[in-house]
Amino acid sequence: MKKNSSLYVLFNGILRENPVLVLILGTCPTLATTTNVFGAFGMGVATLAVLICSNMIISLLRKIIPDSVRIPCYIVIIAGFVTVVQMLVHAFVPALYEMLGVYLALIVVNCIILGRAEMFASKNSVGKSALDGLGMGIGFTLALCAIATIREVVGAASFAGIAIPFLEPLKIEFFVKAPGGMVVYGLLIALVGRLTKGKSPKKKDFTCVGCPGMSFCTKSTCNVKKEV
Amino acid sequence: MKKSIKSLAVLIGICAFVAVIIALTNSITAPIIEANEAKKSNEALLEVLPEGGSFDLVDISEKQLPESVNEVYRAANGGYVVKLTVSGYAPGMVIVCGVNSDGTVSGSKLVSSGETPSIGGTAAEKFKSAVIGKTISDIDTVDTIASATKTTLGYRNAIKDALNTVVILGGGEVDLRSEEEILADNLSAALPAGEGKFTKYFFVEAIDGIDAIYTADNESGAVCVIGEDFIGADAEGNALTECSEEAAELVKTAITKVNSTIMSEIDLTAFEGLPSQLISAKLTESGNYVIDIKGAGYGITGGDEYHPASGEYILIRVSIGADGKILDCLTLSQAETKGIGDACANESFYGQFDGKTEESYNEIDAISGATLTTDGYKKAISRAFESVKILKGGN
Repeated sequence: MKKNSSLYVLFNGILRENPVLVLILGTCPTLATTTNVFGAFGMGVATLAVLICSNMIISLLRKIIPDSVRIPCYIVIIAGFVTVVQMLVHAFVPALYEMLGVYLALIVVNCIILGRAEMFASKNSVGKSALDGLGMGIGFTLALCAIATIREVVGAASFAGIAIPFLEPLKIEFFVKAPGGMVVYGLLIALVGRLTKGKSPKKKDFTCVGCPGMSFCTKSTCNVKKEV
Repeated sequence: MKKSIKSLAVLIGICAFVAVIIALTNSITAPIIEANEAKKSNEALLEVLPEGGSFDLVDISEKQLPESVNEVYRAANGGYVVKLTVSGYAPGMVIVCGVNSDGTVSGSKLVSSGETPSIGGTAAEKFKSAVIGKTISDIDTVDTIASATKTTLGYRNAIKDALNTVVILGGGEVDLRSEEEILADNLSAALPAGEGKFTKYFFVEAIDGIDAIYTADNESGAVCVIGEDFIGADAEGNALTECSEEAAELVKTAITKVNSTIMSEIDLTAFEGLPSQLISAKLTESGNYVIDIKGAGYGITGGDEYHPASGEYILIRVSIGADGKILDCLTLSQAETKGIGDACANESFYGQFDGKTEESYNEIDAISGATLTTDGYKKAISRAFESVKILKGGN
């Protein structure tokens, strides 16, 4: 796959640069909403919607937004979309709204969204940014669902709220609690690391590019500087 | 300059654009959300009062109800459903509570809240079943759930308000005032000249027939409590409130006695063997002693250590009559554990010592959960008796 092809951008977010399992972004909502597959899926889709919309708008406005106020601009756009998504979920999927509670509003501070705005959308075309949002959103949703499936099946002996009776005596409640979430999360990171061995990007490939301190960083290891 | 104006313009533009989008979405979703909530709360009505049948909204605009009450529905079977908003860990807990026609809680539900789902939310679920069947008299006995005290306390207050509401709507009267407020209102009614500021009189003389005396801080007079009656009197003891001649006589005697009490400070250095905890002692003309003494509360060795956290002690004032009986007892200050040992500052605890002698003071009830505080308190009282003996010249 060519590095700049649309397909590459789309699949990038799903495994190679999976926001949760490789970039380690959005840890807080990941741990908080993965006790139940339904909640995890809902959270994933809500984030996906916000991510695509904010990526597109930010990409569209990337030439208009002055560098000095870009962060407030991104935050306003993201917060706006989150509020819209929150209202839509409240109106049309009240059960999900109740389950996600305050975490839905906290999508605003989910670093995946601001991270992608800063790392990708502000430098690429609208189409690619939308694809990036889609890929990252799917990657986020899949990662959340994977963690949630393990946690819910092992910890609560149910799947998406449907009880699995024969697992009932075997359930380990530890996994629905926060520490259990950490353990599952850690194991999945290790697994993805193993699967993408040699292929996943080295940290510095993306840390400096997306770094807000890029313009004034004086470290000799800052690789962006050298390119400029 | 031009650059910053441009930045500002872009930011304002984006804000305006986002505001328009939010406004548009809201205009679409708001009615749906409202309809959903309405549907949900109707289902909730049946859920909390399953035998209710149909419900009618009660007009409560003219009624004096607890502040938390939003809506009241009357069920076809005579029960009520009350919808309330109270504060838990976060403000805005909306609770519906069903009350049967016999005044018991039939069920309740947390309709919406900003509580943490995994903590307050689950606690509310558990608490829900604990309040079923409770009435206004025993709702306070339901224990809150540890780790979610604020949520469950808010929940319990909501249920209590709901039960009070039903009593009021049924034509009954409910006193929404606290005990302190009731006392303050009674005192002000008996002696308006006191301007609402009263101090409880500490008995240093035995005054028969009077339960308590409250003197006005502005020295305009005093209020005597005889049973349920509050009788106001001027500074000379002339009753101002309408009462029987007998009562007026009692009040006159009491106030005269209070006014004429002369106390002399005893020089403690003149005596040997007094407990080191004794702070001061006073003697009245009739031979009563007023002792201020330190008591050790919750401590390591139970009874002689001061509070481990603050190093403070319980300061107790006790008056012992010439006949060896305790006339009055009062906790002046204390630093015991909040919610446990600090009950020693309540009149329900120290009031138990009134009328007790050296032989019988040990009979009082300990504060539950605060045995060490009680022990320290009793030890201080025993030292007060001991001090009086030494001051009288005995040994």
